Amino acid sequence: MEIVVYGIINSITLSLISLGFTLVYSISRVPNFAHGALYVTSGYLTWIFLNKCTGMPYVLAIILGIGITAVVGALIYQFILVRVRGMEISEIIATYAIGLAILEGLRWGGLRGGTFSLPAFFAGSVDILGVSVDYQRLIIVGAGILTFILLYLFTRYTKMGLAFRGIAQDERAAMMLGINSDVTAVLSLGIGSALAGLAAILLLPLGNIVVETGYNVLIFAIAVCVIGGLGSWGGVIVASFIIGFAQILTESFLSAHYQMVVALLAIILTLLVKPSGIFGKQKELEERV
Amino acid sequence: MFEAFEMMVFFENMIALNNVSITCGEGKIVGIFGSNSAGKSTFMHAISGIILDIKKKEEMRGGERISVFGRVFFNGKDMSAVKPHNRAKAGIVLCPERRRIFPESSVLENLKIGSFLTGGTKTRQNLDYVLDLFPRLKDHLKRQGGFLSGGEQQMLAIGRALMASPKLLLLDEPLLGLSPAYQEIVINGTKAIRDSTGISIIITEQYARPVMPIIDYGYILENGSSVLAGTREELMDNPDVKSAYFGV
Repeated sequence: MEIVVYGIINSITLSLISLGFTLVYSISRVPNFAHGALYVTSGYLTWIFLNKCTGMPYVLAIILGIGITAVVGALIYQFILVRVRGMEISEIIATYAIGLAILEGLRWGGLRGGTFSLPAFFAGSVDILGVSVDYQRLIIVGAGILTFILLYLFTRYTKMGLAFRGIAQDERAAMMLGINSDVTAVLSLGIGSALAGLAAILLLPLGNIVVETGYNVLIFAIAVCVIGGLGSWGGVIVASFIIGFAQILTESFLSAHYQMVVALLAIILTLLVKPSGIFGKQKELEERV
Repeated sequence: MFEAFEMMVFFENMIALNNVSITCGEGKIVGIFGSNSAGKSTFMHAISGIILDIKKKEEMRGGERISVFGRVFFNGKDMSAVKPHNRAKAGIVLCPERRRIFPESSVLENLKIGSFLTGGTKTRQNLDYVLDLFPRLKDHLKRQGGFLSGGEQQMLAIGRALMASPKLLLLDEPLLGLSPAYQEIVINGTKAIRDSTGISIIITEQYARPVMPIIDYGYILENGSSVLAGTREELMDNPDVKSAYFGV
């Protein structure tokens, strides 16, 4: 029973982590390797607001942390990525370099040691199916599901969301209809960074804010996206559950050290068996003439 | 109303479009005919501004060098340097070759994405108009665009372009790969759009025969140059056009 409950929690955690990465990729075709850095940035900013600005309520600190992270993401596109757009290798190098700069900059700026942690939203725990689960993990599950629903509604029923879907499927055809691809790309990076920030705020109360989290988060996000098929939303959910449960299973039968190995092995297996991922480009939708 | 003046496009040193000038008056249908590689699509890309995006992407990638010369005037304004999405905002909307509908979106969603520039009651009006024009789309509103037949996709592509409330609609090879029955639907639809809304239309096609009856004025492109121009009657009476396009 423990495996099922914690498997679900772990899966939703993974999908929260990868959501921002896949959103950015599907809309702007930029593989945002600074994703992990933005994740840590958001957590650290919230910690600063909470601890250095006395009297600031937790909610306001969270909103500011996520908001600033979103702006940072948008600025990264506006000033750096716009110059290398369309060159995949350069995009990866540029975003990875930005990520490294941010993470190591934070380390240099004092983010060292295990003294940085965010408080849980509510203390305490509850029994579910005989397994004790703390409130924070329940909030993660709820917020994860809510985020998915909101994103679904946003991309189906709002004008900007529909423009996102258009750009994601055929950039030039969308351009012909008056959609500005640079604006959607900036917005997608902003929203993607905000999602990374949101994941950080939800997950960091379970542990400490350390620089290494940034690298781990990036690897998990890439693993989920490669297995699910880059840029596919359904793929994110399915792949999160596959990796999520695989991790929990190895943790309970082998050892917790193998978590990262599972993610990396899954990448290798996917690339060997079905390189486009589970929900990669559907063949039957190819153009008919 | 619309004028493309001395358009020239080079891909590296190859000339794709050589001094082509075309005008289109308010509420007119202008046809551009030519075989493969005559420069029809390049011309459409040039006047819709897409060529600027292609050029930019190629430059960034260090790929092909594309040079564009000439001027595009629309309602008295010089649009030559205007980006494609802003040209669409001004009213020049391209319905691209091979349709390029959004394959993973439903028919209704394709139309909704098309209405990015409009909103509110205008969107509703446009949607009703498109569904009246092509009633067949009504039966497939929930179906994914990629699963439609070629003819239905073409209707959807034209409908999607209409959702943007164009003043000048550019149809690039709308009959490509369509059965004669669908060709008729699309051609009748094109004429109906002009007659009921007054939208000006520029249409390119390889085969002049089905399109000729609805145009007001036509141009013949060959190897990137405009070799012949005239009203419908003039073109249909021309012996060269007759032998090349009507096989008489």
